[in-house]
Amino acid sequence: MYEVLMYDGGIYRSNELLEMIEDVGGVVLQKTRSAQMFTVTMSIPGEDREAMERMCTSIGGMVRNVPLAGTEIAVIGPTLGRHHMPHPVCDIAEALREAGAITVVMGLARGRGKATSQISMEEMDIINEYDAAVFMLGNFKSCVEAKKHLFEKIKVPVILVSGPRPDGLDECCEAIVHGVGRRTERMRTPEDMKKLEEISESVEKVIKEKKMAIDEDPLFVHPAEIKQLLEEYEPLKECLRPAPIVMHLDGLRVKVSKKDNIENISEMNVYGKKLGEIAKISESRINDSSMLIRIMTRSEMEDSV
Amino acid sequence: MYIEVTGTDIYGNDAYKELFKGIISDSGTAGSIEKVKMSMDPSTPLFIISVIMKSKPESKRMIDAVSIRTEGKDVHLTITDENYAPQITSALWRMYGRDKVEQQTRFDVKIENGDEDRISETEIASGDDAKQEVIGAMWRILPEGIKARYNISEGRIITIAATEEIMTQPLKDKAQKMHNEVKDNLSAQEAEENV
Repeated sequence: MYEVLMYDGGIYRSNELLEMIEDVGGVVLQKTRSAQMFTVTMSIPGEDREAMERMCTSIGGMVRNVPLAGTEIAVIGPTLGRHHMPHPVCDIAEALREAGAITVVMGLARGRGKATSQISMEEMDIINEYDAAVFMLGNFKSCVEAKKHLFEKIKVPVILVSGPRPDGLDECCEAIVHGVGRRTERMRTPEDMKKLEEISESVEKVIKEKKMAIDEDPLFVHPAEIKQLLEEYEPLKECLRPAPIVMHLDGLRVKVSKKDNIENISEMNVYGKKLGEIAKISESRINDSSMLIRIMTRSEMEDSV
Repeated sequence: MYIEVTGTDIYGNDAYKELFKGIISDSGTAGSIEKVKMSMDPSTPLFIISVIMKSKPESKRMIDAVSIRTEGKDVHLTITDENYAPQITSALWRMYGRDKVEQQTRFDVKIENGDEDRISETEIASGDDAKQEVIGAMWRILPEGIKARYNISEGRIITIAATEEIMTQPLKDKAQKMHNEVKDNLSAQEAEENV
């Protein structure tokens, strides 16, 4: 059984860590370097966890459990205006990143107002590219309830965070966390930290359920295997964007243009098949600077034969 | 600063009280506010905020924020209220040009061939600026989607009403009613203090 861990430490002797991950048959899911700081999210065999922890401690870092590793989650506020950003949307995104997720903060173009709030089809399509969406709404119960149209048609799991507990929204979202509304300062108090933990746990629960649903009809290959393959692809090696390859539960986001790379990527060999045959590759709705690879399930593969 | 909130949503009332404190404190206008009354009605929706300022905002002259002396042909200023330092230096640059104004230390400024009287009487902040700051903070407190707004300003009292619907006369009347109540309370309180 593989376990997902995060090394959080310095760059010093990090090559030894990367070698050890390879030696035990593990996979690097995400590698982020910021100045002298270095974080590595890895998937390693459970029996090697102790040895890996010893190694991480010996090079001056620490190991954390990251239940949301391998997911990309959108945290959405009604707008990008100063009424709704940066707190608490960014605090929630930070809490999710600490749990291992890659997060994206979004503001809707017209999400403000009780009677005038709207979400466009394009915004919904963009949100549907992520593994889950956290919607952050405000302080008035009637306003939160009136804004259910913002997320009721979203196909990915939605976690609603609002001030008061709204009524009648249980069917429109997978989880509701109340007690966090519009605010002007960072969530730093012990009560706030508890709330952030609660949000993180709700997201973990929702992601776990989604993973279980995927396990019922497993993917043809795990996204981590495609990631390993793509890491050798030259345009991605040269890509300067942070996290050029982001894992999703059912595929990956690859931050290169589909137009220029589709031929090369769909021709890649995966267990004797072409990547284009085992995955649906599409352009991201954000723009052509990234593409989405959704790996087909085993039953989809059988149907396509 | 005393804040009174009335409204139909208990959670929202408490949250907006905290929001008011936070935003007013961020905007640096907390010191100029004496009392606040808020009426929050999200069902209409109609939000009214009435603020009593500590004193009627008045304009500030250079002499209120600096001590000034003339030595030979030059005028020397020592900034006594650093809050106005940016306004002081920009006013001096505007009047004499940057080459004649030398900021020697954080607080000391020398002006070549300056006129002490003219500098002393220069306005560095108008009363309207202070009022605009408070109104700006009040606008920021109101929910972003509640765009139709109506302002009443009279002496030390500023009232803002906001709705998402058309700002009709009955809504304006509600704002005026609250403004008058706050004004009456203030008059009664001032009368009591004078006795």
